[in-house]
Amino acid sequence: MHALRDVLGEMPLHRSVKGIRKGKPVPTVTIDGCKVEVEKDATVLDAAKKAGVWIPTLCYHPAVSSDASCRLCMVELDRGDWRQLVTACNYPVRRDIVVYVSSEGAQQARHGVMELLLARAPESQELKALAERMGVKETHYPKVTESQRNCILCGLCVQVCEEIIGQAAIGYAGRGVDRTVAAPFRQPSEDCIGCGACAAICPVGTIKVRIHKDEQEVEISPFKSRAKLLICEECGAPIISMQVSEQALGKVEVNCEEFRERVRLCPKCRRSQTAGRLKAATANKENGERAVNWH
Amino acid sequence: MTVLGNAKLRSTAELEHMQEELRARHTPSAKCVRVCTGPGCAVKGSPKLYELFCEAVERTGANVEIEAKSVGCHGLCECGPIVLIQPGNIFYQKVEEPDIAEIFRETILGDRVVEKLLYENPATGQKAVTPEEITFYKVQKRIALAGNGLIEPTKITDYIAERGYIALAKVISSMAPEEVVSEVEASGLRGRGGGGFPTARKWHSCREAEGLPKYVICNGDEGDPGAFMDRSIMEGNPHSVIEGMLIGAYAIGSEQGYIYVRNEYPLAVEHLKTAISQAREMGLLGQNILGSAFSFDIRINRGGGAFVCGESTALMASLEGRPGEPRAKYIHTVESGFRGKPTNLNNVETWANIPQIINRGGEWFAGIGTEESKGTKVFSLVGKVKNTGLVEVPMGITLRRIVEEIGGGIAGGKRFKAVQTGGPSGGCIPAEHLDARVDFDELTKLGSMMGSGGMIVMDEDTCMVRVAKYFTNFLQKESCGKCTPCREGLSQMLHILERITKGEGEVGDVEELEGLAELLEGTALCALGKTAANPIMSTIRYFRDEYDAHIKEKRCPAKECRGLFRYEIDPEACTACGICLKNCPADAITGEKKVSHVINQEKCTLCGMCWEKCPFTAVLKV
Repeated sequence: MHALRDVLGEMPLHRSVKGIRKGKPVPTVTIDGCKVEVEKDATVLDAAKKAGVWIPTLCYHPAVSSDASCRLCMVELDRGDWRQLVTACNYPVRRDIVVYVSSEGAQQARHGVMELLLARAPESQELKALAERMGVKETHYPKVTESQRNCILCGLCVQVCEEIIGQAAIGYAGRGVDRTVAAPFRQPSEDCIGCGACAAICPVGTIKVRIHKDEQEVEISPFKSRAKLLICEECGAPIISMQVSEQALGKVEVNCEEFRERVRLCPKCRRSQTAGRLKAATANKENGERAVNWH
Repeated sequence: MTVLGNAKLRSTAELEHMQEELRARHTPSAKCVRVCTGPGCAVKGSPKLYELFCEAVERTGANVEIEAKSVGCHGLCECGPIVLIQPGNIFYQKVEEPDIAEIFRETILGDRVVEKLLYENPATGQKAVTPEEITFYKVQKRIALAGNGLIEPTKITDYIAERGYIALAKVISSMAPEEVVSEVEASGLRGRGGGGFPTARKWHSCREAEGLPKYVICNGDEGDPGAFMDRSIMEGNPHSVIEGMLIGAYAIGSEQGYIYVRNEYPLAVEHLKTAISQAREMGLLGQNILGSAFSFDIRINRGGGAFVCGESTALMASLEGRPGEPRAKYIHTVESGFRGKPTNLNNVETWANIPQIINRGGEWFAGIGTEESKGTKVFSLVGKVKNTGLVEVPMGITLRRIVEEIGGGIAGGKRFKAVQTGGPSGGCIPAEHLDARVDFDELTKLGSMMGSGGMIVMDEDTCMVRVAKYFTNFLQKESCGKCTPCREGLSQMLHILERITKGEGEVGDVEELEGLAELLEGTALCALGKTAANPIMSTIRYFRDEYDAHIKEKRCPAKECRGLFRYEIDPEACTACGICLKNCPADAITGEKKVSHVINQEKCTLCGMCWEKCPFTAVLKV
């Protein structure tokens, strides 16, 4: 299956343009001694990016709202006579503040959280790589909680499905240690359109997209939800889920005919078809004829 | 009685007039039977007693004016069911069905006291006729619980007759919203739900916050094990909560309120519903209250039973119909709370204090308590004390007075070991700190907290490691699982505690627990996680020797942890009755007639059956 972007090419997507308010104060954030100015209500993480300071994150993604559930991006906020641990991904900057990323307290907090996550999902290669980058070699905690295929419950999949795709086909089931990400009643969900956004956003590779060629269906694992696929008319390769193409219609500025034409072929076949036309056109040009319509 | 119909009250004058009429109806000699139907007495059959009293009243006929009332919790639950008789304020305890005829004949009709039903002071053997003579009540000061046990919660007229809704009339007719906030500020009232945040500051921030509509919420999601303070107020005096909310809404500028109450409190829900509909009928809720421009209404929302929903942001999420999970509070709920609007949330007890503060003035309230903690606090006193029940004490009272005077000391002649305050996230305070004063800051200094008012007393037979394990287990189960430290950290801590109580503890486990506790306190998302390590930390702080005994000597000093002590038969006490031998499921006991029995330690499975069954307490834990 292909990413929606590959299928649609350079089609313009609707974008909401954020209103720029005038006269907003510009607070200064001092990160480990480095001063940066950010817009009011920007997060500490935004400021850190601007300052070129790396803060490890797992449940943060710029496309969705910050839930701060993984607690990996802890930094210390200067409160005068004491320092408060805050999550960088959602702490709003409202006035001039001083934060410490590489202080001992902040590092200890991040390492502690990472060790707990490693104990939960010891087999995740992605998590190990992030731990290594943070300087955490291993966890000294035993594995005491069951995780579903190394799921660290960051919640990005749930958020992207609700906030970006607008389907909310998955959510949380259970409480505390029993918490899992699941479709309602842990049954395959009819609301799942098989877009694969959850798999794309999963930071530890827990969610997988499986193609069932014979049934011409896409399955989102481990939720067992399935959706019908559009098949390339040329080579028979699966292109994209049918429901995704239907939904995309509402979100793309294009006439239906043009859109349907675009999703008729898989990107590979479309490229080779275009290449064929290009070749023919070049040949025709050499023959002194006018260029043909690319479509 | 023109105003006593269902007609709406159109002005504060009408309310005052109605109150006067209601009070005039009660002559001092009027006879009244008050049967406690609070949670403690109700399980002992008090609703049936109430019915029987009602029947008896009917049989008597109208020539003698007698009233039977079903009222809220009196507090001394240990001695329930409790019946109070007017005039004389005669306090009868442990009343049973056969006693009713006697009470009716002797006390109500004959004005004589039934001696056998009176409370007897266990120390002096003296009988007490009125509650004032009982130490349990003498030490208390009742503000939030003032109406409990006095009024019938399902009758708004009862509440109005006891100066109910007068505070509301006062603020509507003569106070500007800012003045109401100032009055509460003068009282020094701090949130009774556990946080202890100054109530007036919260109100002020919410009032100043941008955005409309504004909401006020009453947090009635009391979930601490063994706590029933809010329950008793909601069941016993629901109008005090409603009036408090009305005053708060007026001060803040809100037109809609919500009461979030546990579904496990069906009687509280029922009484609140009744109270709200009665208040609506009277024009005390709804549009243009008492003929003024102020409008406010309340809806009830029943919680599904998640402990974490007592956390304000989780409660609001649940109220919105989303899963009850907390969110970061970097932006406060007074700015952006329920539905993203300014929201003021207070606990049941906080709301119930408001009408009294307005009636008697903030200064009066500030005159009670300590420098930083004003007023009184309701506690549910449970555990190994003689008098368990609901108590309201002025802030600053010592723990010793609560345990020894109100609680009557430790039951069964045992020695006091610790008192656990603050609910599952609180801590255990040992005997050497019994003289500590009960207020927000003092309890925090001792490694515990005020919490919403749970108070569990433990005696020498309680293993503190097991106590820590019990609360950690509770919190691990009730954690919502959203943030890593709470979900994973609590599981790790519980794992360590389980090992220790099984005798598999290792040197370094305590340090490991301390490290995890620090991590949780610093990194967890909400207050549940941040304070979750308190039970562990406070028991390590005060009872480190017990941890060491478990870990190093594989011994449980309180002899509660199975496997860390042995059962032995005391040959002196053993009468060779053979009961233990017959009951031992492992055939580990040998013995003959007239020969004291012996436990074969290799066969013994430590089930404790012999210890339970021995009628001569000859089986010992060693």
